Amino acid sequence: MDSSQIIALIGRSLPALFQGAGITVLLMGACLGVGVLCGIPLALVHVYGGYWSRSAAGIYDRVFRGFPALVLLFLFYFGLGNISGLSVSPFVAVVLALGLRSAAYQAQIYRGGMLAVAEGQMDAARSLGMTKPQAICFAILPQALYFSLPGLANEYSILLKDTALAFTVGVVELFTKGKFIAVQTRATLPIYLTVGALYLLLTYAGIFCFWMTERLAHIPGLGWRSRDTER
Amino acid sequence: MSFLIGMMPPLLQGFSITLQLIVCAIPIGLVIGVMVAVGRVYGGIALSPLAWGYQLLFRGTPLLLQLFIIYYGLPHCGIVLSPFVSAIIAFGLCSGAYHSEYFRGAILSIPDGQMNAARALGMSKGQSVFSVIFPQMLRKAIPGCTNEIVYLIKYSSLAYIVTLVDLTGQGRLIGYATFRFFEVFLIVGLIYLGMVTIVLRLLTTVEAKVRIPGL
Repeated sequence: MDSSQIIALIGRSLPALFQGAGITVLLMGACLGVGVLCGIPLALVHVYGGYWSRSAAGIYDRVFRGFPALVLLFLFYFGLGNISGLSVSPFVAVVLALGLRSAAYQAQIYRGGMLAVAEGQMDAARSLGMTKPQAICFAILPQALYFSLPGLANEYSILLKDTALAFTVGVVELFTKGKFIAVQTRATLPIYLTVGALYLLLTYAGIFCFWMTERLAHIPGLGWRSRDTER
Repeated sequence: MSFLIGMMPPLLQGFSITLQLIVCAIPIGLVIGVMVAVGRVYGGIALSPLAWGYQLLFRGTPLLLQLFIIYYGLPHCGIVLSPFVSAIIAFGLCSGAYHSEYFRGAILSIPDGQMNAARALGMSKGQSVFSVIFPQMLRKAIPGCTNEIVYLIKYSSLAYIVTLVDLTGQGRLIGYATFRFFEVFLIVGLIYLGMVTIVLRLLTTVEAKVRIPGL
């Protein structure tokens, strides 16, 4: 196969690969969403919980951060149906496994964000007559979430690449599409390299979005910018 | 209970493959990491973009894809590797890219003055990097590298996808034979958790042991 044929082949397979990339983005969005929804309460438990709730969160943390993603995926895809008798669709299994795993990692990111908020802020909010939940909601969390953005961008890039694991349970996303085409056309290397380029694009496009969000969500007087203006 | 005892021998076999994979891939990753970090910081116009491109490529694409390119893609240009060797190469190259960021951060955290002081004492640039920068960099990078090694242990489970029957692969075989996936993967996961915990303890101890007082 000469180079013009290879380029033509890549051109022909791009629409299918873009379709796969769409599913990858969908998967990633769902996983990130599950991670945010479960990660924030988990972080609150880590920081403000009592002894028992903190221990429970600790066990959750241990399991989801200590098990390989692939093993978690198999636990949810094969194991969940096994013990509950439900049939779990591959897509749902991936979202649950990777989303709940991401929640454990995200909880650590949010926890770091909450601890980065100065302690006096809680006291100030309480002394203004806010209840503790109010103070957490309106004073601590907005700042903590802003501090968490860089860590979240990191988590995004890890999660995006982990969605390729969905291939092992048969979700037809970017990597699976690439594999189909590679097997059909037997031009393995060029196709996989194209798939790699698409992942690269998605990773850095996403990181750029997070970076933009960080700039837009910037709280005046807080973080790196204020330090610059003070100087 | 007999089910548990019955699946221990194959799991142990898979465990030994996983262990071999990890033990071979960790040093490769560390060596590549140091080289890429040094290349990026001291490489000048020639090496530094090269090292940057390496990091970009290997940190921007899924490990699964890298593994596929090495195992299924390279035969396309006449290079055929065994599953075990491809897995080690893929894990080593990928974790090297992540290690290099930790090493680079460690190098950059060492004050510039140290390099100047070493040069002023008559050391060559290579000597100063080796005898002044390296000892500090390696120590400062331990926490980050610990993290990466933990990741490597967990991602070694991808080896089963290129037909290597490691711990995860054995778990799957047992699962298919007995249809008790939940129990099997729970045990497999706990074994990985155990490995991770031991390595964390070990490297934390190492970190404390080699710490330079006052640094």
